[in-house]
Amino acid sequence: MGNKALDGIKVLDLTHHISGPYCTKLLADFGADVIKIERPKTGDPARNSKPFFQDEKNLEHSLTFLYLNTNKKSITVDLKSDLGIEIFTKLLLQSDILVENFSPHVMPSLGLTYKKLHGINPRLVQVSISNFGQTGPYRDYKASDIVEYALGGLMYLIGSNHREPLKHAFNQAQFKAGTNASSAALIALYEAKTTGVGQHVDVSIHESIASSLRDTTSLYTYMGAIRHRQPEDSGIIPERHAVKSKDGYTVPIQYGSVAWEIFANFINKPELKSPRFETPESRTQNARELKEIIGESFESREKLETFYAAHEHPGLIYGVVQSPDDILQNPQYTERGFFKEIDHPVTGKANYPNAPFIMSKTPKSDNNSAPTLGQHNKEIMLSVLGYSSAQINHLYKVGVI
Amino acid sequence: MGQPLSGIRIVEMGQLIAIPFATKLLADMGAEVIRIESCSRLEEYRTYSLYDNDATGEYWNRAANFYEQNRNKFGITLDLETDKGIRLLKDIISISDVFAQNFTPRVVKKFGLEYESLSQIKPDIIMVSSTGYGHTGPWSQFGAIGYGTEAASGLTHMTGYEDGPPVLPQIPHADFTAAEHTVFAIMASLIHRASTGTGQFIDISQTETLSATIPEAIMDYSINGSTKGRMGNQHSEMSPHGCYPCKGNDRWIAISIENDEEWINLCRVLDNPKLTTEPRFSNANDRHIHRKELDQLLIDSTSLRDQYELMKELQENKVPAGAVVNGKQLLFDPHLKARGFFETISHHISTGIPPLPYPSRPWKMSKSEVMVSNPAPIMGEHNEQVICSLLGNTNEHLKSLENENIVGYKPINPRSNTMPLEIQKRKGQIIKYERNFRDQLHEHFGDL
Repeated sequence: MGNKALDGIKVLDLTHHISGPYCTKLLADFGADVIKIERPKTGDPARNSKPFFQDEKNLEHSLTFLYLNTNKKSITVDLKSDLGIEIFTKLLLQSDILVENFSPHVMPSLGLTYKKLHGINPRLVQVSISNFGQTGPYRDYKASDIVEYALGGLMYLIGSNHREPLKHAFNQAQFKAGTNASSAALIALYEAKTTGVGQHVDVSIHESIASSLRDTTSLYTYMGAIRHRQPEDSGIIPERHAVKSKDGYTVPIQYGSVAWEIFANFINKPELKSPRFETPESRTQNARELKEIIGESFESREKLETFYAAHEHPGLIYGVVQSPDDILQNPQYTERGFFKEIDHPVTGKANYPNAPFIMSKTPKSDNNSAPTLGQHNKEIMLSVLGYSSAQINHLYKVGVI
Repeated sequence: MGQPLSGIRIVEMGQLIAIPFATKLLADMGAEVIRIESCSRLEEYRTYSLYDNDATGEYWNRAANFYEQNRNKFGITLDLETDKGIRLLKDIISISDVFAQNFTPRVVKKFGLEYESLSQIKPDIIMVSSTGYGHTGPWSQFGAIGYGTEAASGLTHMTGYEDGPPVLPQIPHADFTAAEHTVFAIMASLIHRASTGTGQFIDISQTETLSATIPEAIMDYSINGSTKGRMGNQHSEMSPHGCYPCKGNDRWIAISIENDEEWINLCRVLDNPKLTTEPRFSNANDRHIHRKELDQLLIDSTSLRDQYELMKELQENKVPAGAVVNGKQLLFDPHLKARGFFETISHHISTGIPPLPYPSRPWKMSKSEVMVSNPAPIMGEHNEQVICSLLGNTNEHLKSLENENIVGYKPINPRSNTMPLEIQKRKGQIIKYERNFRDQLHEHFGDL
């Protein structure tokens, strides 16, 4: 079994898609008891998102869902019915934390305002994750990850300076908000344990992006400047650009003051020590030629060869661009046990990313798969809530669970 | 209700973002954070983005990134290459709850700061290590900054234009992901310790925390054996989905359409109902197949519109759309203003910097008191407070430490890293700079 960091903490999980489920995944993976309420018959809409196991669409095949919902229990409840609200309320009474990521008008429309829930369970910490927060002029704006990237200020900083900017692949904004929500939940819980009083935590995906842009707004408040997407040919070593190697890409990052000569010797191009490239000014003047010479050297070696060689020189803290294939074979990931086999009742055994960090005394220890839809209905209704079999059958019949 | 983390003391030795951002958020919530710097190795974040781009005088106390990451913290300097310096650090650790650092294992060992040793001094210490690739394993000695860890995580490989190389952002995104997970890890440890009295060692690999947020790519490969190429701003299912040019230089809008209803509304707003009757775009599946032609048609419409006006009209019609904002636009955003997202922080009087708005934090709590924002420390600002008042050393002892350069108030070898704004513009690092920025700040934020 093992010691768990969040042993005994009970989380009622109304979340769906990505940001909410990642928050509750972190809580579940590190030991909290998480009960996930899903819509009867259809469940969490993330069950319909690609990629699917063997590319075959099925409520139990979404790889994103399978990853995000490990170690949680699933119960299906129709929250639009009175009997469903009754079940919800019983669960709420036993919970320390409630997490939801509906649009802000949804919980009140179900009669589940924070004020009401706080009245039912005053020590409850309610965490609400939403696109733009519970207040403000954009509160009811619709968004997906790309819209958050745009309004959050991060999109403007990615890509070429002479064409449309880019977002990162996949769903970084939502994962960020989920991570921040899990931290905020624990901070509020930490306080509730002393004071006995819970509160409402408001996490905005938009603000999760806007709070992680380094000095982007401060460039303006400090000197009236506006950061832009930097072109590749700026005549310096392209530390923020991936440079082609024989079999992929490396990122030639230098840290601290590294003499130009050291770099010239490292990439085995003595012509870089000539006056044409000696000073920053001359390098800017001859940027195009410089880029060609550097490119030629990097392209002649394999990426890991360059990466390992660089790290023998202080200050040459190169990066290597890894594909999922590279990661699965990567000795560092393997040594640290980043992957773990998990067995799922429908999709079987597979390697999942294990834990995002290692805790020495309370490591992530449970390896339960994501639940099938309503997998724990009977268990929770009978053992946790004390309903009888007859009552449960009736609730199924009328579609409440 | 007071501050949730009052009574918790955190001692920190970490440059850049991965550790400091995490402890900043904890300091905001009431933890006492003591940050340790070195006079002989001036922090990177004290050397550029200086107020008024002015590198004269004690510029190291006027650097934006240092203020961003270190508000609400106490700052001391210690020379860890000396026995006395290490002993002072251990004295502070002996009365702290958390020790967070980002040294490689070799440096941890050199300073005698292994978890096993520290838990002799303070049995319930929570020690946090945040490094590029992790505290153990064949890559554990490799240095890394955010661009390197982002590259290794798998995210960079999947990010970029369809016809182009992998792309990195202008800011170290990976560092923030690691820091965000670090806050969670520290809180989980504190909660565990509150009920068991046990501390522990937390080993964070910045690369792994980022890999943990791209299951779509990693599991598609580990389970299906499949890897997709870079797709620019395209989506695997939604179309239209992308970034479209608007009126003006470098003005864009992001639009994503999930269903037919949003599609019909989009066409109506763009005043092109012809698109809705076009059989090629009649359903989501077909729109996805013909997305390239579709994008081209949209560009024709969006380039005639102002990004904010178009966003507003689309949102009023329930279409997900967002203006792509630059740093200035974000600072002056009306929604963030209504949310009170930017908080005013003053600066040490010696710096001459007026109070300024800074991004606050990614959560709001209905009851907890947030620490009223104190500025980041100037170098060595709290030497006396920590070494004398907190640790009980005499002022004479502090004086002797100063004379031996174990403790100090300025860098021994200052080196700034600034470039005139005109050159930054020419190099493309900034798109423009405005001399009347102080007036504009005053207009939007009022008296700060």
